[in-house]
Amino acid sequence: MTSFSLIRFTARGIGRRPVRTTLTIIGLAALILTYVSVQSLVSTLEINVSGSVSSLGGEIDVLKKGASFPLFSTVPVSYTNTVKTISGVSLAAPVAVAQMTVDNNQAVIAGLVPSLVPRMLTYTMVAGTMITSNQSGILSIGKALASTVGKGAGQTLLLDGYNYSIAGVYQTNAWMDYSLIIPHSVAQQLIGWVNQTSMIVVTTQDPRTVDTIIGQIRTLLPTTDAFRTSEAPSKISPIFASLEAIASDITIIVSLSAVLGIMNSNLNNLRERMRTFAIFKATGASSSQIIRLVLYESLLIGILGTMLGLGISYAVLNLVSIPVAEKINVAIILVPSTFIYATLLAISVSLAAAIYPALRIARVRPQEVFRFG
Amino acid sequence: MDDAVILRTEGLSKTYGNGPEKTVALDNVNLQITRRKLLAVYGPSGSGKTTLLFLLSGLDKPTSGRIYFEGVEVSSMSERRLSRLRRNSFGFVFQNYNLVDELTVLENVMLTMMFEGKPGAERRDRAEELLRRVGIAGKERRRPSQLSAGEQQRVAVARAVANRPELVLMDEPTGNLDQENSQQLMRLVTEMVQGEGTTCVVATHNLEIVNEAPSKVVLKSGRIVSS
Repeated sequence: MTSFSLIRFTARGIGRRPVRTTLTIIGLAALILTYVSVQSLVSTLEINVSGSVSSLGGEIDVLKKGASFPLFSTVPVSYTNTVKTISGVSLAAPVAVAQMTVDNNQAVIAGLVPSLVPRMLTYTMVAGTMITSNQSGILSIGKALASTVGKGAGQTLLLDGYNYSIAGVYQTNAWMDYSLIIPHSVAQQLIGWVNQTSMIVVTTQDPRTVDTIIGQIRTLLPTTDAFRTSEAPSKISPIFASLEAIASDITIIVSLSAVLGIMNSNLNNLRERMRTFAIFKATGASSSQIIRLVLYESLLIGILGTMLGLGISYAVLNLVSIPVAEKINVAIILVPSTFIYATLLAISVSLAAAIYPALRIARVRPQEVFRFG
Repeated sequence: MDDAVILRTEGLSKTYGNGPEKTVALDNVNLQITRRKLLAVYGPSGSGKTTLLFLLSGLDKPTSGRIYFEGVEVSSMSERRLSRLRRNSFGFVFQNYNLVDELTVLENVMLTMMFEGKPGAERRDRAEELLRRVGIAGKERRRPSQLSAGEQQRVAVARAVANRPELVLMDEPTGNLDQENSQQLMRLVTEMVQGEGTTCVVATHNLEIVNEAPSKVVLKSGRIVSS
């Protein structure tokens, strides 16, 4: 029997049990929605927190040892010069990060050295210009934050109670779009720091020397912690390591529940159709053909459930956003790999839930079913 | 070995249960079935007719004894080889038809051909031809439950012969049919034996069938008492 015949045969079969099929498909769709939601939530938070560091550029971040987030980190600005002395370092720039009131909203602002901004950030100006000097009273604002406060280039806004002129609106397609940039020296004054900054962003001349330079920074500046920017989420906040673990646990628990639920449904369904399978065997179906029949059936339902689940997940998550600060919401970031893994998960769950029932039904003894029902 | 013999049994026995609850369904049955002939197995209910047919078709295993089909021992065959045998060489017509109500009449007839891997067009043509021959033309898309008992049994016969088996085993094929339908069905079976050269074993307690059959055996309490 060809696989194609079996699949067509199976497709007709599942269409004739619409209630059971629909319920299983909805169950799988719910599994996918749960998985995609949890993973996307974690990814969004990670990307944004990572973005709050990595979108500041650089390959290495230097924070105060033990600080869980740039907002809670302070390091002497003089450390910047120490890092610059390390061979292979092409850029070491101080970054001051603080949460401040922007008009009536809360936002995390970044204090950068204006002359270094083009070397640190990849951005496009939507309107106006990026700040270019240490002049007080000017700032550049991210597109998303500008949209939240309803201001544009040339207008003024209140930053921590002071009037600032918006030099321009930039777009980075990263977390920085929810922030604004002021000169580093101005940020120090606003925060009340003398010779302090939140972190140092480092770029190397050769990416292969990153680990060596990290080691040297740790040796030279033992009160700091240096790490790759790409490791920012787990490094700067152990919460993310926990979140990832929780997301994995939820996925495992939900998947196991789905496997057991669908397996139970499959067993009941096959028990009801025991006579049908006994007839198949009596008319010449081999055990392997019966196993394939059950697996194909589950696979088809799995594919339908996956398509529905992915569609629902995409539609729902596009409408959802995460509040990161008062009146500031971050849209859920849909990572393509999450959808690929969700598909693999749902198909695996469908097949795993069918293996045991398939093996059981393949052992059916027609003569017993015909005799005893 | 006699080439005229398609299937034979040696000391075939089947018991169910153990100890005091042991039931002997068949006891030392020695049988030879001649090729391209109709053999009627006659006996009252509980005489072991169904058990014999299940053993001959490889659906059940004997407690002792051997079954040879075309000189090859069937009783010790692997499940895989038995499946192939049931698909290609045997056809089975059950007393209660055993049609799959999830499938249409046409799909039921196509079933064994699908398991055999015959192409879709070929199995459809063959199934339609068979349904025409058994008088079910025009009802191919119906479910078995939408047919009369006589029609269902004729569909079961069509399914049993779909793969052109050498041996068709029928368990009380007229058991649920009225006289007219019984006669119609047996005419069909006779045509099949004569036309396609199929060997038929019909288990029945219908004396009319027994009287018309060229060879017969009588079973009583699991033993052949006359042949």
